[in-house]
Amino acid sequence: MNTFKILQTLAETPGPSGYEREIADVITDLWQPYVDELVRDRVGNLIAIKYGSGVEPRRRLLLAAHMDEIALMVKQIVAHNEQGFLRVTPVGGVDRRHLYGQLVTVHGRSPLSGVLGALPNAMLPPERRNQPFDYEDLVVDVGLPLSEVEAQVSVGDFISFRQPLRKLQGKYVSGKALDNRASVTAVTHALEYLQTRTHTWDVVAVATCQEETRLLGAYTSAFSQRPDAAVAIDVGFGKGPGANGENVFDLGSGPVLDLGPNVHPGMFEALNDAAKALEMSVSVGTHQRGSGTDAYGLQVAREGIPTGLVSISLRYMHTMVETVHLADVERSGRLLGEFAARLDDQFINKLTAGLMDDEETESK
Amino acid sequence: MNDLIQKLVEAYGPSGFEDGMRALIRPEVEPYADDVSVDALGNLIVHKQGDGSGLKVMIAAHMDEIGLMVTHITKEGFLRFTNIGGVRPHGLWGSRVQFADGRIGLISSDRITDRSKIHGLDKHFIDVGATSAEDCPVEVGAAVGFARPFHANGKFLTAKSMDDRIGCVIAIEALKRLQNTPHDVYFVFSVQEEVGVRGALTAANALDPDVGLALDVTLTGDVPEAHPMSVSLGKGAAIKVKDSGMIAHAGLVKLMRQRAEEAGITHQLEVLDGGSTDARSIQIANGGAAAGCISIPCRYVHSQSETVHADDVEASIQLLVEILANPIEL
Repeated sequence: MNTFKILQTLAETPGPSGYEREIADVITDLWQPYVDELVRDRVGNLIAIKYGSGVEPRRRLLLAAHMDEIALMVKQIVAHNEQGFLRVTPVGGVDRRHLYGQLVTVHGRSPLSGVLGALPNAMLPPERRNQPFDYEDLVVDVGLPLSEVEAQVSVGDFISFRQPLRKLQGKYVSGKALDNRASVTAVTHALEYLQTRTHTWDVVAVATCQEETRLLGAYTSAFSQRPDAAVAIDVGFGKGPGANGENVFDLGSGPVLDLGPNVHPGMFEALNDAAKALEMSVSVGTHQRGSGTDAYGLQVAREGIPTGLVSISLRYMHTMVETVHLADVERSGRLLGEFAARLDDQFINKLTAGLMDDEETESK
Repeated sequence: MNDLIQKLVEAYGPSGFEDGMRALIRPEVEPYADDVSVDALGNLIVHKQGDGSGLKVMIAAHMDEIGLMVTHITKEGFLRFTNIGGVRPHGLWGSRVQFADGRIGLISSDRITDRSKIHGLDKHFIDVGATSAEDCPVEVGAAVGFARPFHANGKFLTAKSMDDRIGCVIAIEALKRLQNTPHDVYFVFSVQEEVGVRGALTAANALDPDVGLALDVTLTGDVPEAHPMSVSLGKGAAIKVKDSGMIAHAGLVKLMRQRAEEAGITHQLEVLDGGSTDARSIQIANGGAAAGCISIPCRYVHSQSETVHADDVEASIQLLVEILANPIEL
């Protein structure tokens, strides 16, 4: 499995929140060979099920990696000297500091290349220089007259960023949408890993939709699939200049296992045990309140689902130069595969018993 | 139709206190429904059966309105209050308000010394003509609605609580006009939208629809110095693509546009930067639903002079009927 090639295809395919059809097609092709069932639900999740070897009814593990990415949307078409320009609004947590000068594709009747423009520093009044532009100051220019723009583009059309995946030195790669196509790649590795390992549980791999806007896919797929346990896979903040304190991790140092309110401690332990079995080094991350990932939604579906969180460290989040280390992606996949293969009939009972033990200890 | 609009917009019904609204709407819909029920939260659920070939569709228009709640009564008999939903202090001074029993009060504020600043809600009070806490006829916890008569300025219709009584009117009219539908349609007149889109969530959990459509107002970009937005009053029903709470189902948006174009219904596309609707809850309930919204362009939302255009209201009714009368393929 060529990790770079897979990540390249995934990262370069547009898939803004709410418009995941195209990226779902790509993931379908990628996962089809490894799974027994593959469906799309009515909100846009791609759900792939690999049957376990246990007798029915089997327990199910849900792996959630969101496939959507941050993007822009056409809010208004404005005229200037008969030329048409587009005003935009963000889809998800776009960092507007980096918008000026980006290359985009406007998904109108047919895809149109465009650029995000605004006034250069020299044309701005002194007090507005060297500052990020507001959405009201930015336009997308596709180089067409107003009548053509109006014929090709509608309010509500989405705009994706146009950025190839590039290799830096070593195993570092950089591009757009590595949040969270790096994790989709990791899940692909996990599914491949499971081809050679017996697993008694069903593994339900979900490429979730609309995570960047409201964790929609996590809530809905966890409800419809009713898993016994779930793991969210997402990117986390990597170490780098200016980010060397707590809760940031070296790229290339392996997966990060999160602890915090969204994570069942027993799930954390089991993931950690799987890493030990593989002699894989992992780091421990923490979150307060919400983890900002699908784990937040998975955890509260139905009667509540024991949930874990695996993170791939990434630098420059929500920019067009998101950077990850390919070894982290591969190791995260192997870890998830091993974790799934180790699940047995007693797993859920042990999770519950583990909690009871802790309570007794505390009461003494 | 203005009579029905007037009846609904002038009525009292802050979030959580929708009983009166339900009593007003029920007789309007009962003759046209196969079943009418009320759930534990107070949603009014009106079922129109399909012929079995279509989907389960939930239509939501919220009955509740923004308002106030009495938090404290001063010894002089004035009422201090907090907000129910998105009430801003701008424009409160001199307002008249109504209570569940029809009693009228008026709002004023503590002395204004700096006219460049606006007092917060906590420095406003309601005067109900009491002279002391003892003879005050209102209790702490009383919910307060605004009181303002409906006014039609030609096709410009102005009232308090167009948000979302105009959505209720559209749902009622569409139900009346809808002869046959392939779909199992549930018109939900929902509660507590203004305080976190809560009624629609429980209704959607219970009904588990395939498709959810909210009917609610949206902002416009057509007034002086408005926040840039492409929606204008009088330019038709607005088909929501995105608001700050959700992204509408792409297939549903496409279908709504197609139905509007086929039937020659004036429409526009809506991308709203602030605010959301019942569709947000329907989208995420249970395993999720394909959710969208027919928005009614409205100026001065959350003021006491919310203004919609009669042509947009008519277009919205027609669009809803077209969607429900035809197959929905997503």
